[in-house]
Amino acid sequence: MASSLTPSPIPAPIAIQRRVIVLDPAHGGSDSGAQISDTTVEKDVTLALAFRLRAMLTARGFTVVMTRDSDSPASPAPGGGSLSLNDRAGVANHAHAAACLVLHASSSGDGVHLYRADLDAASAEPSVPPWLTAQAAWIPQSRLLQREIAGALMRSSIPLVVGAVSVRPMDSLTCPALIVELAPADEDADSINRTDYQQQVARAIAGALLVWEGQVQAPPQRSGASVTQATLARHSGRTAVQP
Amino acid sequence: MSNQLQPNPRSAQPVSHHVAIQKIQRRQRIVFWCLMLCILAMGLLLAVERHRERQRIEALAEQMPIDAPTAVAETVTLDLANDQDGTIHPETRQIALPQAVNARARALIDHLLAEYALPGSAHSLPPGSAVAEVFLLPLPVMGYVSDSSSSATNTAGYRATTPVPPDDPSALQPQHPGGELAVIDLRSSWVNQHPSGVEVESLTLRSILGTLHRNLPQIEQVRFLVDGQARETLAGHADLLRTYPVRDATSPTGGEEPKPANP
Repeated sequence: MASSLTPSPIPAPIAIQRRVIVLDPAHGGSDSGAQISDTTVEKDVTLALAFRLRAMLTARGFTVVMTRDSDSPASPAPGGGSLSLNDRAGVANHAHAAACLVLHASSSGDGVHLYRADLDAASAEPSVPPWLTAQAAWIPQSRLLQREIAGALMRSSIPLVVGAVSVRPMDSLTCPALIVELAPADEDADSINRTDYQQQVARAIAGALLVWEGQVQAPPQRSGASVTQATLARHSGRTAVQP
Repeated sequence: MSNQLQPNPRSAQPVSHHVAIQKIQRRQRIVFWCLMLCILAMGLLLAVERHRERQRIEALAEQMPIDAPTAVAETVTLDLANDQDGTIHPETRQIALPQAVNARARALIDHLLAEYALPGSAHSLPPGSAVAEVFLLPLPVMGYVSDSSSSATNTAGYRATTPVPPDDPSALQPQHPGGELAVIDLRSSWVNQHPSGVEVESLTLRSILGTLHRNLPQIEQVRFLVDGQARETLAGHADLLRTYPVRDATSPTGGEEPKPANP
């Protein structure tokens, strides 16, 4: 049993790709998300906003990785199927992006709701972060990114709500990550589809990411030896109590 | 003269009759007072039994999940959500609550969610009973494994069990002695009607957690079930699989409000 738990050499952390941004338009396919109005569903709004944001970012020299660019996202795994939330987190984590934005839409409130993951910040990132709390080490960076984008949206006079929420797959992302939830521009729920409104939001976010590119930093890495010993100890403990 | 010496039968009869009446009345008085004593004793017994029965019914009522009519109204603080600005603000209410902590938790959540079903609510939610039951587990939550060795198996075939602490040493640990995990079992009939969206779902959960934090400080963590089963999200967004720490909900980011850079 012990030999199977022998630690393998720990790879050096991969540097952040400062010019790479991940956009995750939430929902898609059979998952329509929230019903915004009689004629609008959330999955269409998130995809439309993602296209506008991608155009704004590409024009500023960024490389944009999208988890879906059509209604139904395809799983990269052999066998196909639809893209699960874990698949989306995997796509985002492999990009080593400067920012990961998960796009949502809602009919409640107005303007933009900007959320980070509701996790306690970890002081350093372990070499093998636990999947369900992988975002913990990135919380300080996510908080700074939230502040940067919130400032840009406020300067654009867009109503803003900031906070922290537990929405999957945010907790599993290993990048500065935020949820951008677009709400209607005014009391008419269909105003969420207005081109000028979505462009205004996309312009503000793209401008903030241009500043963010020079600020983003990877969290400090926890030493591999101590992590491995702790992991081994936990594995040993678990093995000892198994019947 | 002779007429005067003759006994008067009419005058002699009342005297003997008076004595007889006096004798009968004495017996009657004794019987009467005996009966009175019996009546008083039975009345006293009836009052005692009535008092005992009342106490028994009150005790039964306190054990029921939702009960309050026999309790005195007390001041509680509800953390009410507002969809427009995404905030939670505390408001006090006079509510009669049962004594048991799990019943109090359920009654608090039911009152909170009933406020959201009122017309004009700032966080409009569907009406109806939302909570099926609230369970309380002392922290840390321990698991158990059975010992399969023959020495640990009794004649009935039951195996001895050994408590096992959770894998993650930082998980499900009490912040204070006596801290508890509340498992809130929601009804699918209510959950399926809940509006969908990151903000609206998160506000519902924060509102519940904040209200529990203010009124039942021994509840430190909360898990949600729907019809007794684990469910991924409340209405497509807010995570229902994780364990939530119970804390002040009035701060949107747990006391770490981000300030816009260079406004």
